[in-house]
Amino acid sequence: MKTTRTGAIVGGGLVLAGLAVLPLTGIQSYWIYTLTIGFYYALLAASWSLLVGYVGRISFAQAAMSGLGAYTSALSLQHFGWPLPVSLLAGVVLAGFVGVFIGWLTLRLHGAYLGLTTIAFSEILRITVTAEHGLTAGSLGLRVPPLIQGGGPLTYYYLFLAVTVVCLALMLFLLQSRIGLFFQAIREDEDGAASLGVEVTTWKIMAFATSSAFAGLAGGLYAHFVQLITPSMMSLQEMGYVLAMAVIGGFHNVIYAALGGLLLQLGLEGLREVGEWRLVVFGLAAILVLRFAPNGLFGTIFGSFSRKGVRR
Amino acid sequence: MVRTLQSFSGMDDEMGLLEIGEQALNGLIISTFYALTALGLALIFGVLRIVNFAHGELYMLGGYVGYLVVSVLGLPPVVGVFAAAAVLLIVGAVLERTLIRPVYTGKVDRPDEYAIMITFALSVLLLNLANSVFGPWPQRPRPIYRGRIEIGELIVSGDRLAAAGAALALIIGVILVLRYTWIGRAVRAVSQDRSAAETFGIDINRTSMLAFGAGAALAAAAGALIGPVFNVTPPMGVIPSIKAYIVVVLGGLGSIPGALIGALILGQVESFATVLIPDTTRALAYKDAYGLLVLVVILLLRPQGLFGRKERRA
Repeated sequence: MKTTRTGAIVGGGLVLAGLAVLPLTGIQSYWIYTLTIGFYYALLAASWSLLVGYVGRISFAQAAMSGLGAYTSALSLQHFGWPLPVSLLAGVVLAGFVGVFIGWLTLRLHGAYLGLTTIAFSEILRITVTAEHGLTAGSLGLRVPPLIQGGGPLTYYYLFLAVTVVCLALMLFLLQSRIGLFFQAIREDEDGAASLGVEVTTWKIMAFATSSAFAGLAGGLYAHFVQLITPSMMSLQEMGYVLAMAVIGGFHNVIYAALGGLLLQLGLEGLREVGEWRLVVFGLAAILVLRFAPNGLFGTIFGSFSRKGVRR
Repeated sequence: MVRTLQSFSGMDDEMGLLEIGEQALNGLIISTFYALTALGLALIFGVLRIVNFAHGELYMLGGYVGYLVVSVLGLPPVVGVFAAAAVLLIVGAVLERTLIRPVYTGKVDRPDEYAIMITFALSVLLLNLANSVFGPWPQRPRPIYRGRIEIGELIVSGDRLAAAGAALALIIGVILVLRYTWIGRAVRAVSQDRSAAETFGIDINRTSMLAFGAGAALAAAAGALIGPVFNVTPPMGVIPSIKAYIVVVLGGLGSIPGALIGALILGQVESFATVLIPDTTRALAYKDAYGLLVLVVILLLRPQGLFGRKERRA
């Protein structure tokens, strides 16, 4: 386990260094843009794996939480005239609170039942955002002011990179603390953990809240970057992509999940000439990874460095 | 609550008996569609104890097999429905053998988690596959029957009524097979008690493969029947599959009579709940949300559903 963690940190550090100097190599601003979107997916996939990979609670509402953060930030900026950082924070807080609410409501539910309930929440949110078109502009899409007035692609790139890195560091810090151990204890044996004094209820709700808040942040930043958001960012198809990204990267580790998000976004853009078939490859890869390399691509690669290998 | 009551009393003034009858009949037709789609899901859950999150995409594949048979080969729509069921029976059995079997042979570490994710990933794959092969354009194969049918003063579109009739016939057929044939008994035995069924010499692997194949075939038949009514497109299965989840949760996961009654309830709820919001465009937009609310409430208050067996953990 220790070696795996070191592997992840060394690997992550190398990727980070590469990403930091990449714009200096003079690559096209198109790829800078793609990578910036990639950071959004990296954060979203990592936030999902925080809940699913560590606590073992499946949620299909992650894309909806991202959308919630996006719409909250955009609308509070537009209607209340709050400064942008405050609007962003409002999105994070609201997504976190909805996370608390869903986490609390679904305390008794597990596995497929939890999956179905979160699908229901996700769809109710998406339907509401679509239906209230007077407020949200519905499927036409809502125009969102830019994050940085007159900011160029590089500014966004470094900002998204920095936010993603800070968020991942926060997640790692949380997961390596006692709380991380509580999370894993709940995943392995909830009753056992409760009998040993872990406050299962609190930590299950906290896990949902934290994961949702990170998703809300990702969504808010994304909204102010692309400047046009539609309810389709909350769809189950979008959720399917986030799931595939985390699974392909390795959803039992937030770093691997984040790398999965980045890799897949790059792959999707890189394979543009094959058209829609790239999404087929994407789905197939997720299935093959789940079936034959459940630790994900990065989990398998980094895990093979350690002698014991990764026990999941 | 007060608002709801007011809208209800308001409804009586605005809605005549005819409109109520129309809504009820519409609800019944939609219910048979839901029931047929949900039946396969209930069958799969009963035997395999997994929720098939790719059910909507199996339904969609059925719609496309129907389209190929009817629009490309020019065969009658009924043949399309049976062809869809036959093709997806095989596809379903293969999927079970390759992807689902590790769930209960101990080959994966967290079988529940694996089953949810692999079926969800499968839905991503199949939806995009259909999008690549057939394109995003809607297809509209010939329905079983065209035109309008009058029942007394009620007028219904013939394609819907015919599809609902065929769906009903299929549902009855499945119930008879489950009740009176050896295969049906084996399926019911495994869904009641896996290890006891095994003790009595039932081949669990074969029954599971059959159940997943049959579940896929039922989804496909539903897709091929309903496709011509609402268009055949790659994402056509997304909403019906969500309805099917609602229906099976309502009736109790794995319970077949429960699924039928759940479908009946959902059809009527959706048909009449639209009346609650006066603004028609918003009422239509929210139509799909009512069932989801029902799903959440049932899962929270009575996760075993109206007719399901209580498990220690939902």
